[in-house]
Amino acid sequence: MSLEEDAKDPGFEQFEQFLEEWSRRGFLKRMGAMGAWFAFSGGVIELLEACGGGSSTAQAGKKGGHVVEGAFSDVRTFNSMLSSDTASNQVIGLMFDGLLNSKKNGDLVGALAQDLPKTSSDGLTYTFKLRPNLKWSDGQPLTADDVVFTYQLAYDPQYKDFASPRRGDLSKYIASVAAPDPQTVVITTTQVFAPFLASHGQYGILPKHVLGTLSGKDMNTADFNKAPTVANGAFKFVSWQSGQQVTLARNESYWAGPALLDQYIYKVLPDSTTVANQLKTGEIDIGPVDPAQFDSVKSSGNTNIAEFPVAIFDFFAYNLDPTKLGGKLFGQKEVRQALIYALDRQSWVQAIYFGHASVATSVEPPTSWAFKAKPQVVYTFDKAKANSLLDAAGWAKGADGIRAKDGLPLKFEMHTNAGNKQRESLLQVMQQSWKDIGVEATPKLIQFPQLVTEIVSTRDFDLFLVGFSWTQDPDESPLFHSRNTVPGGFNGADFKNADVDAALDGALATLDKSKRKELYGKFQDIMSDQVPAPILMFNVGIWATSKRVMNADFGTYNQFQNRPWMKDVWVTDGK
Amino acid sequence: MLLKFVARRLLASVIVVLGVTAVTLILMDRTRGAYVPGIDLNPALRPEDIARLRANLGLDEPFYQWYLSWLWNVLHGDFGRSMIDGSPVITHILERLPNTLELTLTAIVLGILLSVPLGVIGALRRGSKSDHALTVFSVGGFAIPQFWLGLMLILVFSVTFQHLGWPWLPSGGVTSPFGGGDLGDRLLHLILPATVLSLFYLSLWSRFTRSSMLEVLSQDYVRTARAKGMSERRVVYLHGLRNALIPLVTLVGLELPGLVSGGLIVEVVFSWPGLGRLAFERALQYDYTTVMGVVFFTTLLVVAGNLLADILYAILDPRIRYA
Repeated sequence: MSLEEDAKDPGFEQFEQFLEEWSRRGFLKRMGAMGAWFAFSGGVIELLEACGGGSSTAQAGKKGGHVVEGAFSDVRTFNSMLSSDTASNQVIGLMFDGLLNSKKNGDLVGALAQDLPKTSSDGLTYTFKLRPNLKWSDGQPLTADDVVFTYQLAYDPQYKDFASPRRGDLSKYIASVAAPDPQTVVITTTQVFAPFLASHGQYGILPKHVLGTLSGKDMNTADFNKAPTVANGAFKFVSWQSGQQVTLARNESYWAGPALLDQYIYKVLPDSTTVANQLKTGEIDIGPVDPAQFDSVKSSGNTNIAEFPVAIFDFFAYNLDPTKLGGKLFGQKEVRQALIYALDRQSWVQAIYFGHASVATSVEPPTSWAFKAKPQVVYTFDKAKANSLLDAAGWAKGADGIRAKDGLPLKFEMHTNAGNKQRESLLQVMQQSWKDIGVEATPKLIQFPQLVTEIVSTRDFDLFLVGFSWTQDPDESPLFHSRNTVPGGFNGADFKNADVDAALDGALATLDKSKRKELYGKFQDIMSDQVPAPILMFNVGIWATSKRVMNADFGTYNQFQNRPWMKDVWVTDGK
Repeated sequence: MLLKFVARRLLASVIVVLGVTAVTLILMDRTRGAYVPGIDLNPALRPEDIARLRANLGLDEPFYQWYLSWLWNVLHGDFGRSMIDGSPVITHILERLPNTLELTLTAIVLGILLSVPLGVIGALRRGSKSDHALTVFSVGGFAIPQFWLGLMLILVFSVTFQHLGWPWLPSGGVTSPFGGGDLGDRLLHLILPATVLSLFYLSLWSRFTRSSMLEVLSQDYVRTARAKGMSERRVVYLHGLRNALIPLVTLVGLELPGLVSGGLIVEVVFSWPGLGRLAFERALQYDYTTVMGVVFFTTLLVVAGNLLADILYAILDPRIRYA
C-alpha cells in the first residue's frame, strides 16, 4: 500500500467508537464497538458455508413469543450509514442485512450476497452476486441499485452533506460501485486493501425506493432514521420509545426464512446492576453481565451464561516524542521494559477483573489468527529484574527514593478518562507498583473527549491508559505505524520503527494469509521487545440468557451487530 | 401592588433564565467545546468533511454567537435538534415529561398528604414515644441516600420476592416491555420509585410542619383563642395549622422544579425514562442542544415555581404585602 501523508486506515473508526463506548460505560458496555470481522477473499478461503444464517447447534424451535434484551445505551439512529455507536449498530443489524455477515469465529459469509465476492486477479475489484428474489418487507424487490445507493451515500460527492462517519474511509478506498444487472454489484477499490470486505462489506443495505429522493442534508434528519418503514433483515421496526425500548417484529419476507420469534424488544437500562437484577427477576431475557455481577447472576440459576474471549484490551502508551518529557523519560527501551516487569498483572485478574480476564502476552488479541502467544519477550512479574534494568540504564535512586538520571527525576503523570472505575483502579495499582521501584507516577483523570484530543492531537501527556477494541483483521497500523503519528492519527505514542512499518505495510498489501501471518509474527516480536504501548489485559465477553430462550449463540464475533443466529432463537414457553 | 410585584419578579426571572443557560453553555464549552460524537476526532473523516458537517450544525461560530442564535430560535419556539440523534429536542422533552411528572407528582402528593398529619401529630404529642419515633423515621429518611434505598427495595421486593415465588414488584421502567402499559401495570411500576422519592419529601416536610406547628401554637393569638374557650380542635386546625402551613408552601414551591428534574437519582436507579435521566445522559454524551433545551425548560419551571409560591404566600397570609 502506498504511504500517503494523510493515510487513514480502517479500524480508526472502531477505535474512536470504542474509546467512546469505553469511556462512559461499565466494563461490558466496552465489549461493544467490536468491529467487522475480516476473512480473506481471492481463493484462500477453504471452507464456505452455503448459508449465512443459523448455528450448527440450532434445534428446530417453536414459532411465537418474544424476548427482551437489556442494554446500557439507547439507540441513536436506525440508518446504517449514519450510525457510529454499538447500540444503534446492534439493532440495525437485526433489521438490515449487508452484503456479507460474520460467523461466530469471524469468518465472513454471504448475507444479501449469495456468497463471498469474486475478486479480480489484481485484487482491486469485487463482484458480488445477490440472492435471487430478495424483497424489502413492503414487498418491493431489493436489487443491486439499493446496494449502489447505500454505498454512494458515503462516498459519492453528491451526498457530501450527509453526516456519514464512513465517508473518509469509503471515499478513500472506493473507486466505483456499479450494478451491471439487478443481481450483480461490482465494487472497484483504489488500492489492494486486505481488510476491505470485513470493514466495509457488512453495512446494512438501505432502501433506495424510500430514501432515494432525499438530498444528503435532508437524509441527516429523515424520519426513516427514527422509524424505518421497511427492512430486509430478520426483523422489522415497530416502535421506539426513547430511553425505554425499541420493539421489532418478525419480517415474514426475510431471505433466510422468517424468524421464530414474534417480537424482539431492546430495553434500555442505566447500568450493569440493573441488568443483573432484571436478569434475575426475568424482566429481561438476554443481557451482558459485568464481571463484578457474574457470581450473583450465575447463582440465581435463572440463566445460561456464555463466556468467551474478545478482541478487547486494556493498554497504556508512553509519549515517546523526544521533545517532550515522556520522550526523555521513556526513550530507552530498558525503562519501558522495567516498568512492565514491575507490574504483577496476574494478581489483577482477580482483584480488578473478578477472574474474568487474562494477562496479555502480545499486541494481537488471542482471538486473532495472527496471535503469537509467545513473542520474543514475555513479561512476568519480576521486581528484581525491573530494578536491575533501571540501574543499568543509568536511573539511580536519589535521597528521596525516586530514581533520576542527569538530574531528571523519573516522575510523570498518567492520564485516563474519569468515570471508569476499572481504569481508575488500574492506575492506582500501577502507581503503587512503580513506587516500589523508585518511580513516581501520579494518576490524573480527565474528561473523555479531552483524553482523545490529547491522544490524537495535542499529545501533551506523559502516559495514557485506555481500552481498545480490534476488528478481526490483525492490522494495527492505526496505532503503531509511523505515518499515523501525524496530527489526527492514533499513534499518539509517537512510536516510529522502520521494521514495524515495513511489516505492517507488507501485510496490508497482500492477500496471502500465510505471508501475512509471518509478517504479523515479526511485528509482535518487535513490539514485545520495544513495548511502546504495553497491552495489559485481554478481556472476555459474558452474556446471560434466560433458560426459556433457546439457540442464542453468542461468540467472539457474534455479540452485537452480527447475529445471524437471531432468526433461530425461540422461547420454550411460547410467550 | 401584587401586579407590580409580579412584574418585577418576571423581569428578574428573565435575567435568571438568561444567566443559567449562559452558564450552562460556558461550562459545556469549557469542558470540550461542541464535541460531536461520531464526527469530531474521527480519523475516518477528512478535516474538511468534519468542518462542513460541523458548519451544518451551526458549530463553526464562536460559542457566544451560537448562544445568541440558539436563544433567538428558542424565543421562536425552536429548540433545535439533538446533536446525537438528529431529532427535535422538544420531541425528546415532551416524550420524557409525562413519565417524570407521573413519578414526581405522585411523590409530592404522597409527601404532602402524609407529612402534614405526621408533623401535626409530632407537634401535639411533643416528647411522646410517637414523636420520637417520627423523629427517628424522618431523620433516617432524610439521611439514607436515595440510590441505596432504591437498590435495597429492588433487592427485597423484586429480586428476593421473585426468587421466593412471592408476588413481586417490577424493578424498573414505567411499563412492562411486552404487553404492558395499562393502568395497573403502570401503578405497579410506580410503587417502588414513588416510595423512595416521596420518603425524601415526607421526611423533610414532616419535620418542617412539626416545628412550624410548635412555633405557631406558642403564639399569643393561640393562647387568646384558648382563653376565649374555643375548642382545642378549632384552635389547632383553624388557627394553628393554617398559619403553620405557610412556610411549607415555600418549601413545596421550591420543590416544583423537582417535578421535572428532581427525580434524577431515582430515575437512574429504577431505569425510569424521565427528563432528569435525559439531561444526565445527554450531558455525558456532549449533546449541547438537548442539554440546553432541558436546562432552559427546567429553569423556567424553577422560576415559575418560586413565583407561584410567593403569590400563594400573599393569599395565605394577609400580613404579607408586597411593596
